[in-house]
Amino acid sequence: MHTKWKLITCLILVLIVGLGLPITAFAHGAKIKYTVDMTIELVAAYDNGEPMAGAQFTVYAPDDLFTPWLTGVCDDEGRFSFVPDTSKPGTWDIQVRQAGHGDIVHIPIGEDMVATSGTGGYTAIQIILMAACFIWGSVGTALYFSRRRRA
Amino acid sequence: MHIPDGILPVPVTAAGYAATAAVTWYSVRKINKKENSRQDIPKTSLLTAAFFVVSWIHIPVPPTSVHLVLNGLLGAILGYFAFPAILIGLFFQAVMFQHGGLTTLGVNAMIMGLPAIIAHYIFRLRRFGNKESRWKTGVFGFISGAIAVAMSVSMFVVILLTNIPADLDVGTERAAIYTLAIAHLPLIAIEGFITSLLAVFLQRVRPRILDGV
Repeated sequence: MHTKWKLITCLILVLIVGLGLPITAFAHGAKIKYTVDMTIELVAAYDNGEPMAGAQFTVYAPDDLFTPWLTGVCDDEGRFSFVPDTSKPGTWDIQVRQAGHGDIVHIPIGEDMVATSGTGGYTAIQIILMAACFIWGSVGTALYFSRRRRA
Repeated sequence: MHIPDGILPVPVTAAGYAATAAVTWYSVRKINKKENSRQDIPKTSLLTAAFFVVSWIHIPVPPTSVHLVLNGLLGAILGYFAFPAILIGLFFQAVMFQHGGLTTLGVNAMIMGLPAIIAHYIFRLRRFGNKESRWKTGVFGFISGAIAVAMSVSMFVVILLTNIPADLDVGTERAAIYTLAIAHLPLIAIEGFITSLLAVFLQRVRPRILDGV
């Protein structure tokens, strides 16, 4: 009987190990769940660098450019973010405005898009150069007509 | 005070262009009637440059900041030349710096140009009564500079308040517009002071510049 119990115990152990091995083997598989968090973050500021704190933003999806897809308010740093509906590929228009001031940015969203960032406007050097050209043109005009007048 | 593209509906921007075209035509007509209008071109050119650049001088008025306009000064010194000068300045500000906009160029020209013409007539009042004095030049210079900015701010506020889109939070936008208008109150005094100072200075060192206006 003692031997018999030993045999039964061994069989149970083999069964347990036998059943256990496939479980361990399955655990080497992998299951990946993923979500694409394509958040678009925007920072709105006036041209003197002052953030557009509390400015209202309006997001227009490409399929309806007249009805806002999303509206909201920028934070104290003029920042806001949203997750666009990727089932609506095309150019999304985002307008930020406050007291009659503001801007519109056009962001292309589609299957072939790549992560990117952008800023509007010119650099300080470009602005200075353009202003200098205009001033030079004005001064030149003034000098030209002053000269003609004397003659 | 420069309204950018995308803020106003199309009928308003179209009306702005129509009004600007009419005032420009009238201004050019008045300029052509002057005996020697060419002699005003140098000062017009220089003040156009000043108008173009001065919008970059920001004066902090918490919680926001304002910039100089100088439309009253242009009106006082240039007369009817001020309107085309402002129109040209606004056009280049919009094209080069996106300050303002091309669709709103007409509206912006009316907001800043029309008060300049009013300022011109106010400044001319210094000639009434007895002899033109430095004191009167200073006082009417101040009034013309101050009233021009006050008028511009009023027009800016009225145009914006009557054109707030329904999809915005109207209360928030209205509050922001009022805040900006109040922030311009010191600018009214500053521009009046600048116009007065420059008018008195020109009368002292080169009174011929003020002859035509």
